[in-house]
Amino acid sequence: MKLTTNAKFSIALVAVFAVVLGALLLGNRRGTEGTSAGVSEASVLRDDTHLLSTAPDNDVVLVEFLDFECEACLAMYPTMERIRAEYADRITFGVRYFPIPSHTNSGLAARVVEASSRQGKFVEMYQRMYDTQTQWGESSESQEALFRTFAQDLGLDMASFEADMNDPAVAERVKGDFNEGIDLGVQGTPTLFLNGVQLPSMPTYDDLTARIDAALAQ
Amino acid sequence: MTSTGARGAHVDTGTPPTVGSSPKVCSPYVVGWILAGGGALGLAASLILTIEKFQLLADPSYRPSCSINPVLSCGSVMSSPQASLFGFPNSILGVVAFTVLLTTGIVTLIEAKALPRWYWRCLVIGLFAGAVLVHWLIFQSLYRIQALCPYCMVVWVVTMTALWYATLHLGARSLSASSRTVKNIVALGAGNHSLVPTIWILSVASLIVSAFWDYWSTLA
Repeated sequence: MKLTTNAKFSIALVAVFAVVLGALLLGNRRGTEGTSAGVSEASVLRDDTHLLSTAPDNDVVLVEFLDFECEACLAMYPTMERIRAEYADRITFGVRYFPIPSHTNSGLAARVVEASSRQGKFVEMYQRMYDTQTQWGESSESQEALFRTFAQDLGLDMASFEADMNDPAVAERVKGDFNEGIDLGVQGTPTLFLNGVQLPSMPTYDDLTARIDAALAQ
Repeated sequence: MTSTGARGAHVDTGTPPTVGSSPKVCSPYVVGWILAGGGALGLAASLILTIEKFQLLADPSYRPSCSINPVLSCGSVMSSPQASLFGFPNSILGVVAFTVLLTTGIVTLIEAKALPRWYWRCLVIGLFAGAVLVHWLIFQSLYRIQALCPYCMVVWVVTMTALWYATLHLGARSLSASSRTVKNIVALGAGNHSLVPTIWILSVASLIVSAFWDYWSTLA
């Protein structure tokens, strides 16, 4: 069958598009391979990871990658608070920032929590975010003013809080968690790792305690 | 969506009688098949979107985890306010409009000249309004909701392709009453009929790739 020039041009355009896209993706992969080889392999728990519970032996390590604006994380939050209360001092439970780009305020919320942690109020602000998420989540406007009132309520020094919230180092700290999450294969939130192994999405309380008990028994 | 059938001008029922050299037009067979096929695809996509919307309403507690995957994002396209622009799910508009498109395509396949020019004018106006809505939805999806929905993308492509071919057909049907310039434009469009939708689809694909580049590069 003889092709019309019209069809030939169309097919050629599609082919060019596919080749350019393939080249871009391939170039991108080469780039990331080069950098990740330089900084050694990704680790689930870092020295600067915020811990909600610490076990002296560090035998069982649970890490949650979370987003303060994510509804699924809010749904998971009561379970995680229960786990934290019941396994306090028996497991090490750390949380890491994974602000999903499509959420308007998740990056800001993460920086607010990180800034609060500089004044020793990580846990309080972490809880505050989930307690109030239904008020500010899914909004397309910046919630900076509201978050500032949270800081005031917690009795933070507002001058240092403002400075920390806009400190590039704080933004870097959040971005660092996010990037390492990507390297670990995190695709969404909440994502849980138990002793370095990624757990199935949204485990129930019973499922999670069974896994933790099994790990503790080892 | 690209078709090489333009040469299949063996059915001349739709080619208007012209004096002298007959300008090249898109065969009504091509137009009929594209409208019927596009209408069927668009109808299927709209029906699925409508049914899924009902299921979402029936179980509001359903919470998929929040994902950086733009296709499976929890900032679900369906539950966004933009998905119910006129107070009801947009997909209901699609169910009605694509049914008309499907019927028009089938009628054109049976009898190329069955439908009068005023009908094609109305169809093109309707499709143009649909195309305006589609471009607004594309913008919202890529830059505001920042998520994709595969069925919506089917609707985008079908609407634009149908608009293009319906316009070409209207041009061909109006040839006898048109000036030389219009005839040249219609002939140019008919001669490159698959190029226009191809360029449009690739442009939107480029915007999608660049808007969600962070995600695509994690897949490589």
